[in-house]
Amino acid sequence: MSRYGLAIDTTKCIGCHACQVACQNQNGLDVNQQFNWILERERGKSPSFDHEFIPVQCNHCESAPCQRVCPTAAIYTTPEGIVSVHPERCVGCKYCIEACPYKVRTVDHHRGIVTKCWLCIDLVRNGGEPACVTTCPNQVRVFGDLDDPQSRLSEFIAEHRAQPLRADLNTRPRIYYKRS
Amino acid sequence: MVENAWGWLIVTYLFLAGAGAGAFVAAVACDLLAPDWSKTLAQAGSLAAGPLVAVGTVCLVLDLEAGLWQPWRQIYLVSNLSSGITWGVIVLSLFIPVAFLYAAALNEITAVGRYLKKYVWHLEVVGSLLAVSTAAYTGILIAVVNGVPFWNTPLMPVLFMASAMSTGLAVAMIGAAIIDITTIRTLSNFALGHIIFLAVEALVLILFVFMSLTRSVEAAISANMLISGVLSPYFWVLVVILGILVPFALSFVEYYEYGAMPKYLVVGADLLVLVGGMSLRALIILSASPPQVV
Repeated sequence: MSRYGLAIDTTKCIGCHACQVACQNQNGLDVNQQFNWILERERGKSPSFDHEFIPVQCNHCESAPCQRVCPTAAIYTTPEGIVSVHPERCVGCKYCIEACPYKVRTVDHHRGIVTKCWLCIDLVRNGGEPACVTTCPNQVRVFGDLDDPQSRLSEFIAEHRAQPLRADLNTRPRIYYKRS
Repeated sequence: MVENAWGWLIVTYLFLAGAGAGAFVAAVACDLLAPDWSKTLAQAGSLAAGPLVAVGTVCLVLDLEAGLWQPWRQIYLVSNLSSGITWGVIVLSLFIPVAFLYAAALNEITAVGRYLKKYVWHLEVVGSLLAVSTAAYTGILIAVVNGVPFWNTPLMPVLFMASAMSTGLAVAMIGAAIIDITTIRTLSNFALGHIIFLAVEALVLILFVFMSLTRSVEAAISANMLISGVLSPYFWVLVVILGILVPFALSFVEYYEYGAMPKYLVVGADLLVLVGGMSLRALIILSASPPQVV
């Protein structure tokens, strides 16, 4: 069975927000709702400042804090390793939002539930890739199978020694970052 | 990014559940330790406990979204025993009926109450355990999430427990004054309770804030928000001065000047304890800041 994940190369990201808009269109989200964000950070010092754009979305943690605290067991991990939500079980208590260290969950006020990135599993199961991956003009994101050492994703992670964000939190994210 | 999902409804719930649980414990303590002269206080505490926790639980339900519009979904709330909310739902569902039955039994209200009169002691033991669980659980609920480093400390349940006990005692004392204003003299005995609980609360609060300053970058951001940042006027005035120092001083005088203190000051001190308890919870919830992930 595959275990899907992403690698994100922040050195290529230009902060164009195309991934965010593609995701909103793909998932039919409202204008003020999104499943991915671009954080910005200045680093370095004069005269070589660097402005880094860091796309973030659900990390699909293997030890997902949201899944552990959900009282209705609405949050589950699919066999492909994608952390997903049973919309009919969620009551909207928002405990998962408080528990998520990455703050990438959002309330869908139409359905009254908490929702988030699901790595476009509908596209992936039909042989495609998530909308944020295919839309990115700079190919910042690499999608693939973490369990397959030959996949482009695994090779990218190995080659660039990509690391998850805040690995010290022990949630074991499935999204890896190359940041320099 | 959604950083603060919880607001005033949750704050109100945390306060009411704590105060209700504390009022129950105060009632039981009065009934067991001094049934002869603290009858009114036990009466007031037992009558307040159930309704306070029940109203708090209503706030919790109002904060839900799909679970509010489609209430049958709430049956799923007991699905995950590793969730703090699942345990909270179990504790609240047991505590609320026990608190109402205790009020009925202690005050011999309705036939059920008269029948249960002989089981008061059982209700006191079971109810006290559930009350302590309710008070501690409100702190544990937010202490176990690593999405907010400021809350993520074992001191949180201790702080909430101390605050629950002092607000609960305040509720029982105000209730006793409402039921029978002549008991206000004997209330001086209970000022000792305020002195103890407020001292513990102050000590734990000092530890909590100082340890947060060095515990992690994010906890320090929250702690600084309270002691010198945007929330500091509320923290120093509502929690520290009005919520702890003034009622502590008043309770001290009240205890040593037995029965001599004007009644508006006795009730005033209790009202200030409630203001402090509510403000403490509001500020802890509102000062939450997420882990710095990049």
